[in-house]
Amino acid sequence: MKRSLIVFAILTATLGGAFLWQQKVQAQDVPLMTEAHIAKIRSNCVEAQSTLNQLHTSDALLRVNQGQLYELISTKLMAPFNARVALNKMDASKLLTASNNYDQELAAFRANYKLYEEAMSRTLKINCLNEPVAFYDSVTETRAKRKTVHSNVVNLSTDIQDYKAEFNALEANTFKESAE
Amino acid sequence: MLIILTIAIAIFLVGIALALYNSSGAAQLDLSGPRFQSVQKQAAQGDDFNGFPSSGELDQGAFNQFRTEYDKQTKKVTDVDSFSGDVMSDQALSIDPPAGE
Repeated sequence: MKRSLIVFAILTATLGGAFLWQQKVQAQDVPLMTEAHIAKIRSNCVEAQSTLNQLHTSDALLRVNQGQLYELISTKLMAPFNARVALNKMDASKLLTASNNYDQELAAFRANYKLYEEAMSRTLKINCLNEPVAFYDSVTETRAKRKTVHSNVVNLSTDIQDYKAEFNALEANTFKESAE
Repeated sequence: MLIILTIAIAIFLVGIALALYNSSGAAQLDLSGPRFQSVQKQAAQGDDFNGFPSSGELDQGAFNQFRTEYDKQTKKVTDVDSFSGDVMSDQALSIDPPAGE
């Protein structure tokens, strides 16, 4: 029993030490902010937060409006067309693949927007005059998340084009067969 | 005793509802708060488009109908490069390091 306790204590100390060492190494990789930079953040941060507030509001509206359109494309266009193709005993496999890719990207868009909005809300709650470094770090994090949302938007546009390409191919094949 | 129990159950259920409201993503879509008053009226009310019919023959007319509606609806999203730009850059917010650093 005593031996097991000693072994456990040594193991815990070793793991704890390794973890603290890794944290120290990581901290050394991040450059420290200068006093001049911190002072600049303090002097401009209230205006910056006001800008971010406006961005938060406009992004929320954009999310609602664009989100409605993305949903409509999936549920009122892609899904019923895929069903109608299947009912007419045509090959809908490529259309299904394209619409599945679109739906997956749309789900990622929703999830990533939620993360971005939560990060933005946290940023706006920080007292930037008292915590300029935390505010700066939070802005950096929020910016990265917004960039991720933008990449989802770009991918959704690509998926929309891909579905259209499959639609065109199906149409060409269908009426080529009819002509023959 | 019964009143206390009723209130406790009500608080518990409200807590669950709030947790679902936040976790489901509905909070991000809710423009009814006072902070969104300026943009509430700009929220799209929805098209009168009822959707492409999911049954029926797929003749050239049906393909044309789908193409017309698909192009019309997708143009609304592809014409807008949402969430782009450097609006959140350090320079735009004036929180970038001072010149010379």
